[in-house]
This record gives sequence, C-alpha cells and structure tokens, in this order.
Amino acid sequence: MTGAARVLDRPVARIAPWRRRGLRRAVTFYLLISPWLIGFVLLAAIPLVMAFLMSLSNYDGLNLEYVQFVGLENYVRAFTDPDAQHALGRTLLLMAVVVPLSLTLQLALALMVNQPIRFTSLFRTIFYLPYVIPVVAAAWVWKIFVDPTGGLLNALLGVAGAQVNVRWLVEYPTVVLALLTIWGAAGGGMVVFLAGLQGIPAEYREAAMIDGANRLQVTRHITLPLLSPVIFFNLVTGIIATLQILVQPMLLAPGILGLSPGTVPPRDNYLYAVHAYLEIFVKQLFGYGSALLWLLFAVVLGLTLVLFKTSRRWVFYGIEP
Amino acid sequence: MTTWTTRRQLLKGAGVLAAAAAAAPILAACQQTPTTPKGGSGKVVVMTDPNEFNDNDRKTLEDATKLKIEIVASDLTRLYAMYAAGNPPDVFRVQAAGVPQYISRKMIKNLQPYFANSKLLKPDDLAPSNNFYKWDGKVVGKGDLYGMVKDWSPDYTLFAYTKAFDDAGVKVPSDSTPLTYDELRALANKVNRKTAGKRVYWGFVHSNNDQWIDRTAMNMLAEKGQTLYAADFSKLNISGNPEALKVIRFLYDLAADGVQQTPTDPSPNWMGADFNNGQVAMLQYGYWFSAMAESDLTKGKTVFLPAPTWSGVRRDPTMTATGWVVSAQTKDPDAAWAVFEQYMGGKPALDRAQSGWGVPGLKSLYKEMPQQSAFQKQVQKVLQGELSNADFVLQFNPYLSEQAFSTSWVKNLEPALKGSITFDKFVQNVETEVNAAIVDGKRIVGN
Repeated sequence: MTGAARVLDRPVARIAPWRRRGLRRAVTFYLLISPWLIGFVLLAAIPLVMAFLMSLSNYDGLNLEYVQFVGLENYVRAFTDPDAQHALGRTLLLMAVVVPLSLTLQLALALMVNQPIRFTSLFRTIFYLPYVIPVVAAAWVWKIFVDPTGGLLNALLGVAGAQVNVRWLVEYPTVVLALLTIWGAAGGGMVVFLAGLQGIPAEYREAAMIDGANRLQVTRHITLPLLSPVIFFNLVTGIIATLQILVQPMLLAPGILGLSPGTVPPRDNYLYAVHAYLEIFVKQLFGYGSALLWLLFAVVLGLTLVLFKTSRRWVFYGIEP
Repeated sequence: MTTWTTRRQLLKGAGVLAAAAAAAPILAACQQTPTTPKGGSGKVVVMTDPNEFNDNDRKTLEDATKLKIEIVASDLTRLYAMYAAGNPPDVFRVQAAGVPQYISRKMIKNLQPYFANSKLLKPDDLAPSNNFYKWDGKVVGKGDLYGMVKDWSPDYTLFAYTKAFDDAGVKVPSDSTPLTYDELRALANKVNRKTAGKRVYWGFVHSNNDQWIDRTAMNMLAEKGQTLYAADFSKLNISGNPEALKVIRFLYDLAADGVQQTPTDPSPNWMGADFNNGQVAMLQYGYWFSAMAESDLTKGKTVFLPAPTWSGVRRDPTMTATGWVVSAQTKDPDAAWAVFEQYMGGKPALDRAQSGWGVPGLKSLYKEMPQQSAFQKQVQKVLQGELSNADFVLQFNPYLSEQAFSTSWVKNLEPALKGSITFDKFVQNVETEVNAAIVDGKRIVGN
C-alpha cells in the first residue's frame, strides 16, 4: 500500500491511463512477436544481406581466399543465361497452371466440407492429410504410383481399356509435378478457405435465399465476394510457393539421389530454383546462384505488388468490424 | 486512441511478410552455418557416411586414440556450408574426383609427413588406388599424399544375371576373357527385354547410370593414351579429338539403344536394387557390390566378370577411390591424423576388409577378403586378375566439381534422346557448358 502510494507520487504516474494502456499493449505486442522477429533477423534478414553481398562476388562456397568483387557481372550473366531463361519460363508456366487449379480445388473442398453432412470431420482429415505428409515421402509415392512397369496409375487406366504403358515421368513430367503440387497443397488451402467460409455470417446467405436466390447465386454473389480477401491471401502465397518449387522436381527426377547435386530433373521440370541450386552446388557458383535468387525475389515482389494493386478492384472487405 | 487492426490490414500485412520471406529460405540456405566445436579440445569432427561408420567404429577409434569423435553425416551442401562458415569438419569423406580440386583450393591438408612417420600406414603397403590422393598441381597420381581410400574396387567389372542370358538363349560371357565394349553392347541388346511395354531386363546398366559417365569415358580413352581434357585441364575436348568423339558416340548410342537406364527410360529404383530384383542382365559395378549382389532371387545366378576393354588394353582402376582427407583448416591436425590413421590402418580397416565391401586400402589386408562361398571364390578369382590391371589413375579436372560433367551430360541427353537436338548439338552443348565451368573454376583459383 505504501509502495503503491510512492509510485503514484512520481511524475511518471501522471501519464494518462489510456497512454499507459497503449504502452503496455505495445510492449506486449513486441514481446509476443519477438521470437519470430529475432528468428527473422538472424535467420533471414542477415543471411539475405550476406547473400546479396555474395551475389556481387565470385565466391565458390569453399575458400574465402579467392573471393573477388565482381560488381553486377552475375546479374548481367543471368540475363544471357539460356538455362535461366528456360527455367524461368517453365516456372511461370507451372505457376500459371498450378495456382488457379489449386485455388479452385481448395475452395471446392472447403465448400464441400463446410456443408452440414455426416462424417464432415473425417472428410476434413482425409483432405488435409496430404498437406502433412513429408514431401520426400509424397514424391516417392507418386514416383511409384506413375511408374510405367509397376505403377498403379497405368494399371487403373488399363482396367478401363487396353494395355496402358504411359511413361508419365518421361512424357508428361510437368503434369505429374503439377498434380503432386496441387495434391500436396490442397489441404492447407482448404483449411484457410474453411476458416474464411465460417467467418461469413449466415444471415447474409439466409437473407439472399429469402429473396429468392438459389445456392449457385448465393455462392456467386454472397460467398465469393466475402471470401475474396482469403482468395487473395491464398493466391499471393500460392504464387510465391510455386515460384520457389525446388524439392519436388528433384525428387521426381530419374535416379534415387533426390535433393542432391547429382540430380538433374527432366528439361520440362527444370525450374528456376532448380537451376539456381545446380549453379550453386554443382558448379559452385555461389555468387551467381545468389544473384539468380535475388532476381527471383524481384520477380516475386513485382508479382505481389501487381496483385496488391489489382486487389482494390476485386477484393471486397465488406464485413469489417 | 486505441487502434484496431482491420482484416484488410492483417491480410495485407501477412501478404507483405510472406513476400518478404519468400526468397529468404533459399537465399538463406547459402548461409547456413552448422556449428562444430573443435580445435585442441580432444574432439575430432568426422563427416562421413553413417552407413559406413557405425557406433562400434566410433567407440573403437575413441578407445584407440583417446579422443572424442563427433560424426556428421556426409552431405556435400553441408560441407560447403561448413567451409563457408570457416568451420569445416576435421576429417571428411571424399571421392577421388574431388581431390585435385580440393588440393588446388588449399582445402585439404598434405598428409605426406604423417604417412612418412606412420607405423600403421606404410608407403609400400598402400594399394595403388591411393595414388588418386596425389596431386602435384599438374597430374593426378604424382606428388604428395593428401588422403587415403577407406577401401576401393577395380570399378569397371561386370555382374551378370545368368537367368537373363538363359531366357534370351545367349551364352553367359566368360569370366576369364574380357569382353570388348562393342561385344558388350551387342550382348546387351540381345538380353535386353520388354514385354508389352513393361521392363523385364535392362541389358546393361553402367556404374551409377550417368553420374560417373565421364569416368567411364576417361578410362576408355586412356586405353589409347588419350584424355578427355587438354593436358593443362583448360578445356574439354570432344569434337576436336576423333578418339574422344568415338567414345562419346559409343556411350550415346548405348543410351539410344534403350538397353540401359536413361533420362528417357529411368528406373524408380537404384540400379543395385534392380539387379537384386532380377531386372538387370549386366551391371557395371566394382568388387564391393559382390557383398550384396546375391539376393534370394539372384543367388546362384550371378557371375562376376572382368572389365570390358575399348581397344584391347586392360585397365581397371577404381573410379571412386572413396576415402578420407583432413581439412587444411583443422585446429588440431595431430588429433585428426590419429583418428584417420586408426580408421585406415587399425581394427576398423581389418573389419572392413573382412566384410567384403571393398578391396582394402592396404595390400597387407588383401588376404582378409572373404572367400568362403562358391560365389565369393569366383569373385576372388576374377578380382585377382583385375587387381593386376588396377594400377592406374583417372585425370580428374581440378577446375571442375565432381558432378559438372555428368550434370551437363544428363541435362542434354534427355532432349537428344527425344530427338529435340542432334548428337552434334548434344556434344556441342556439353562442351560449351563444361568449358564455361572450367573457365569459372580457373578464375576462382586465379589461373
């Protein structure tokens, strides 16, 4: 009691209560985010700066004794590297295919498991399962699934007709990669969409139905517009994730080495991150590889900014508190 | 003045953070710095394959050296990261292809003074494969010793699955007369089999598929006194060397025949497993594979054959020479050497010799190789013949990483086999890419 009185006597105690609350809230906020913030600075921000410095050098990853500053040479090289251009083209193509299909599937699954039907939880678990399977295991399963000799896919297709001997990973490697990517990401996106769907007040839909709207019209004119911020979020993160794909094409490549410098994916699955990885760990061009990745970052940032610009036209934040 | 974060702001913020973090993981991967406390602390960090170095080996070495040993699993990307952090392992596992490069870049320690004073590892007792750990700045096989093989094999030998030959009505090749590569190709085409489009037998699968294709080409060329690279390693020369072009054409045609695993006709498994599953008629692997060649399916139906020749000259060196080196940056070289010496010449070396998983790195241990079963005896008979033709080295390029050639080969082989590019364009692409990598490598070491 005495102590409290002494504290109250100090000038600082005359700070308005709302300001004290604000300070406390700020301190709490920064304390709560500090684990992530510290991790981001130490494990991402500082390495990012180091990687940028590396991109201006001829560093080979092995011996600092031979490091030389090469200016923008690595960046110039990237623009004349036919493999980098090929890889970027394949990556953008994969993104253009995978992102819309992924979003559509994720939304469809979310709409399905949002219905008041029996065994909803079971379906949600089943659909979510691929998302938690390690990518190495998933790729291995797919590799066996599409194997021309003993694979299930050809066997299933064979049931419907004549003998099927499609060499999926040779003739359609990008199709397999796209399917693996879409399948693996479906559960995660579904959960985000589901959360968004459950945040839409039921009154809106009910009011529309009382006014005579059918299910399709409710989805088209009520659900989707109110869900657009979530669609936007999944779109941005989906694009970023697709542009960074590295492990899946390496794991689907011929051989059993997986993500190691000896692996070379088929030309159709030779993506940008794969090219950067091989430049770094096969040719030991750490400087050039870093420049490639910084250019990828620029592409990602550019696409994200364009999306943010266009989002004003189609993202509807109608039910903010 | 309370401010609430709106959903719009939250989503925008999340999007921005996601974008900012997007490139972070892959960029940051270049900066990962595993910690390996060491240096005069009585502890030696060894980067090796845990499948080759079990806990018993560690305890044996710890007892023999009175040092604590920390094992880090072999991983090339991790090794680079540890070097980048200035904290490499004291001792690490390498293959011969990387040795000239590591020496050129002053990454590994000259062990000649240690060998000169060793009671366990005497120069006269070293198997010829240890010459892969010598590099005088110009030639592999000359100069001081920088490491040693843990074990090795003459690697161009063949394992034949006799049932595949029986099914094709073809006689199994003799285990005393080596095939020529042309005969090998003809045989591979005869025993190769697909039924209704599904693979029954691969005719011939060469060592690690295309991963070591340059090593195969180098050995074939060496029979004619030729090399894949210019004498000063400044250039890959295929199109300007008719003999090199012939070898590359042969290897390309073998791939185009459809008798082996290629980027356009891959196997989901490792080729060794395919052999065990009775799906490979002829597999080019060294003696080490004899330890596992006989599965339930292939037992009694496997024959070990001598290495084929390109022009009648017998040459069967190792193409891997897998072994250990000591980092030039180790803070306690004596401790690192103590572990190295015991592993190469102490009880672990004896155990390895008796296991049959490779020819010992010391000639005095040759007699320890197993020869109990009929198959082991047949293997030993062929092996003894091969050992007399194994005292050769391959001239690996000091400016190239181990996979630079094979990566370019595989990358261009796929479009070539699919008909997107011609053979000439294939050769041109490989030459251009490898030569560009050589220029980069030379520039890094200041040549």
